[in-house]
Amino acid sequence: MIATPDLIESLAANMKPVRRLRPPVTRAACWLLLAALVVVLLAVSQGVRPDLATRIHDPSFAAGMVGAILTGVLAAVAAFLVSLPDRSRLWLLLPAPAVVLWLTYIGYQCLGDWVSFGPEGVSIGEATRCLATLVLTSLPLSLAMLVMLRYAAPLRPTAVTCMGSLSVAAITATALSLFHSGDATLMIIMFNIGTAMMFVGLGGLFGRRMMQWIAPRPSIRE
Amino acid sequence: MTERNGRPPQLRLVGSEGDAAPAVPGPTIRDTDWAILMAHAQDGDRSAYQRLLREITPYLRSLAARRHRDPSDVEDAVQDILLTVHAIRHTFDPTRPFGPWLVTIANRRFIDRLRQQGRRRDRETPLMPEHETFSEPQANLEERPDRHELEKAIDELPPMQRKAVHLLKLNEMSLKEASTASGMSIASLKVNVHRAVKSLRKILGDRSEP
Repeated sequence: MIATPDLIESLAANMKPVRRLRPPVTRAACWLLLAALVVVLLAVSQGVRPDLATRIHDPSFAAGMVGAILTGVLAAVAAFLVSLPDRSRLWLLLPAPAVVLWLTYIGYQCLGDWVSFGPEGVSIGEATRCLATLVLTSLPLSLAMLVMLRYAAPLRPTAVTCMGSLSVAAITATALSLFHSGDATLMIIMFNIGTAMMFVGLGGLFGRRMMQWIAPRPSIRE
Repeated sequence: MTERNGRPPQLRLVGSEGDAAPAVPGPTIRDTDWAILMAHAQDGDRSAYQRLLREITPYLRSLAARRHRDPSDVEDAVQDILLTVHAIRHTFDPTRPFGPWLVTIANRRFIDRLRQQGRRRDRETPLMPEHETFSEPQANLEERPDRHELEKAIDELPPMQRKAVHLLKLNEMSLKEASTASGMSIASLKVNVHRAVKSLRKILGDRSEP
């Protein structure tokens, strides 16, 4: 084991000037801009669902969408805030109201107009395209967030990845609702709650390992 | 596990004056200085960085002493924190206080470290000489041959072989002495003792096989 004074000597000797991080809200805004770009590009390439104009006037659908978008935005802000060591962990509660709004309207939608799930409700082609949307939205966003928050690995990896995953999930759910007409109750649940649980679960399970893999290595020599 | 910020340890060794436990200097006193030093360090000032690390080390050590009992653990933890501070020094915002930033990093490193130690303790036990001894079954048995068994085995031998063993092995006579004592030829003694040892080995070996 190296002696602590020697360690300090070598750390100081090998130090390079660093660029400070921008404020967390600015960085979250950058990430959200990327998210908006991804969704717009997907909208251009895949086209929005044909009945979007009529559905958007349905208050519960609109409120659900707003809830999902708000969840995405607030969870992203919370992830960037909590990733910093000197910010309170209470920021984790920031997206909670939006999550409640989102899930309430999803539940309301499901209960209010229960559309039975028939054999024609989900087709294989539609499901495959849904999967494509899901991967195309979530993958770049997850990777971008992982890289942007890699310094959080020695600090609060699980909390940060759960927040990040929630944000990615909410944005993905929004994209799914925008591009695919799945009004069968099962589809709505799958789009929203399924994605959220999948991402938050994956984030909780593998986030720590992914973070550690990409984390800045504490080393004496740089 | 919850973060136990600033909770004093339940038990400490305190001298008669009551000040033997290291008093943890509050980070607030040096906070501004440290924040300025870190800001300079971020801009590439090596001496400021060195001074900062030197000044925070005793503070970190006192924090670590609350969590770890073993002095080498304390030193390891301090070095771990110093390396982490080095790796993520760009996350410090000079407009905000330095103390909370440092203490959060320290606490996270302590918790990770204690968890790691807990996991290792659940899974592994340190290897002691006793473990090595007791894991070998033969090591737990008396290695000394059982005298009675040997005598019984010798009694079972044919008379000539028994005599040869008695004279040559138990009484430790030379071949010549045994030959004069027993009246057997040297060649016959050799053959008989050889056969006796072979059959003894067979009898005892068969019995002692686990």
